[in-house]
Amino acid sequence: MVATATRPGRAFARKRKQAPDAEGTVTVGRSKSATFFANLAGIVFSIIMLFPVYWVINTSFKPGPEVLQFTPSFLPEHPTLDNFISAFKAPLFLQDMLNGLIVTVLAVLGALVVGFMAALAIARFQFYGRKAIILIVLAVQLVPFLALLIPLFLMLQKADLTDSLIGVSITYLVLLLPYTVWTLRGFIAGIPRELDEAALIDGCSRFQVFWRIILPLTGPGLVATSVYGFIQAWNEFIIINTLNSPEKQNLMAWLLQNQTNRGTAWGPLMAGAIITSLPVVIFFLAIQRNIAAGLTAGAVKG
Amino acid sequence: MHAVDSPTTPKSPAPPGGVTPHRAGRRPGRPRRRLGDQRTPWLLSLPALAVLVGLLGYPLYRMVVLSFQNMRLRELLTGRTPPWVGFDQYTKVLTDPVFWTVVRRTVVFTVVSVLISVLLGLAIALLMRRVHRRVRLFMIIAMMFVWALPQLVAAQIFKWMTDADFGVVNYLIDKLPFVEFKNHSWFLSPTQGWIVITALVVWAGVPFLAITLNAGLTQVPKELLEAATVDGAGPWQALRSITLPILRPLIVIVTTLSVIWNFGLFTQPWVLRDSKVEAEYQTLATYSFTQAFGRSNYSLGSAISVVTVLLMLGVMAFYIRQMFKIGEVD
Repeated sequence: MVATATRPGRAFARKRKQAPDAEGTVTVGRSKSATFFANLAGIVFSIIMLFPVYWVINTSFKPGPEVLQFTPSFLPEHPTLDNFISAFKAPLFLQDMLNGLIVTVLAVLGALVVGFMAALAIARFQFYGRKAIILIVLAVQLVPFLALLIPLFLMLQKADLTDSLIGVSITYLVLLLPYTVWTLRGFIAGIPRELDEAALIDGCSRFQVFWRIILPLTGPGLVATSVYGFIQAWNEFIIINTLNSPEKQNLMAWLLQNQTNRGTAWGPLMAGAIITSLPVVIFFLAIQRNIAAGLTAGAVKG
Repeated sequence: MHAVDSPTTPKSPAPPGGVTPHRAGRRPGRPRRRLGDQRTPWLLSLPALAVLVGLLGYPLYRMVVLSFQNMRLRELLTGRTPPWVGFDQYTKVLTDPVFWTVVRRTVVFTVVSVLISVLLGLAIALLMRRVHRRVRLFMIIAMMFVWALPQLVAAQIFKWMTDADFGVVNYLIDKLPFVEFKNHSWFLSPTQGWIVITALVVWAGVPFLAITLNAGLTQVPKELLEAATVDGAGPWQALRSITLPILRPLIVIVTTLSVIWNFGLFTQPWVLRDSKVEAEYQTLATYSFTQAFGRSNYSLGSAISVVTVLLMLGVMAFYIRQMFKIGEVD
């Protein structure tokens, strides 16, 4: 996103630099003081937005007594890594980290394989029932998953899949599938059909077209979609908290449990929160552009 | 290109040579390929459909069925079919004043939080067009970090910041002249508690809105705005009659999404209230959850979920229609 946002931004800035000589009268309402206040407002806004993020980092490096201080210090007076170490050493932290990884990877891979095929069908074929499939995919995306938790819990209970990583993986797969199909559809639709046709004329089979043309060209889309899926599954905690016992939960559920169990241990908790968020934040920043595009695709064009 | 060089000679053989065989080759091929076309896409969609129907459609059906039964812990443990009770659960839900309080609270929260988020998001997006390039980059980076933060972690940070004894918010407000805020408990009064929840939701929601709307603003033709200014339109008028109409489809979509998200508010009250949500902080989502899993009243929880989905149906249908239009375009 940073890239896209700056690209038009840069063009804009360049235009504005030329503006005074070329079309000076047009910059009405862009007086120097107004621009100064706009810049000031932007900076103040950013600082307010960042404050909670700064505060969690600040807290996580403080030793215990400094965290529980009536006059909070705005920089750790005695910075320490103790909170991070104690988070790692805390019961179930590593176990739940591993659980979260397993569940997430299984769900993402499953959603990717199943979703890619469906996306291919929607994007590349005109067939009876195509609209119905699109409708199902879109509608399903909006069903409040929490509402389905009760019957899902009962179903998995019957199948003996509660308190198991497999049960949660399957549930997450379903959770990720609609978005996966919808985004991949966009990526596939972006590949010119002429490429398929050229390959068909050159004697490729349909399968070869998928395998050799569409799949490699969808590569970036597959990466972006799976990263977003990773974030989604990694951040989930309600389902896994309801279905599984603490030994088979993920880090988000761990954070929630620890908040409730150890009321005032904010230092280790915030350190744990940072460790848990780190992969998500990094991944998010890497693929941010696609997330917004997937949610509002085409709306800009009207 | 040939046609330009020698207009007459190559042009006349070109149509029969180039177009007709193509068509002729396609015509007999088409029916065959279309047969394949009918089967292949269905085969490709089959796994996805199976998963969606089996794990979303069936639970959805079960949820409705469950809401007409009376499933308690005993039935869950023994696996016996719960007794049928007809519309009893719905009567219970719909005649319960507590339920209507929760509905009203959820609706009010949704309206207020979406209004603030969208207006603030729009204001920030417009501000981003006005500021220096470096300031804009700073704003984007700041918002990215907030956006990337997991909901649960964001809520925990707010819980820590509004802690009665050691929270930084109390400390900062206490610094203001004539304000005594030491050991102030934010969640004793529901109004203040909801202010914290709304602040959290707005803070977490603005980045998506501002960045998306800013991207939309770059699509507004500068020439139009300049022409309007030349014609004597003030900035406010230009915004109202040019920018906003162009931005409208995008605003509609992000507002709809915000409504859907905020209506399903769960994580924030759940985390801020330590997984023990008091009556004053219940939303439809937490209410259904506590009825089902807290009190083992699975049928009542299902009935509440069904009503919730029905309440949201209009908004969802609207969103799907918008997205469907877009899906048809490409």
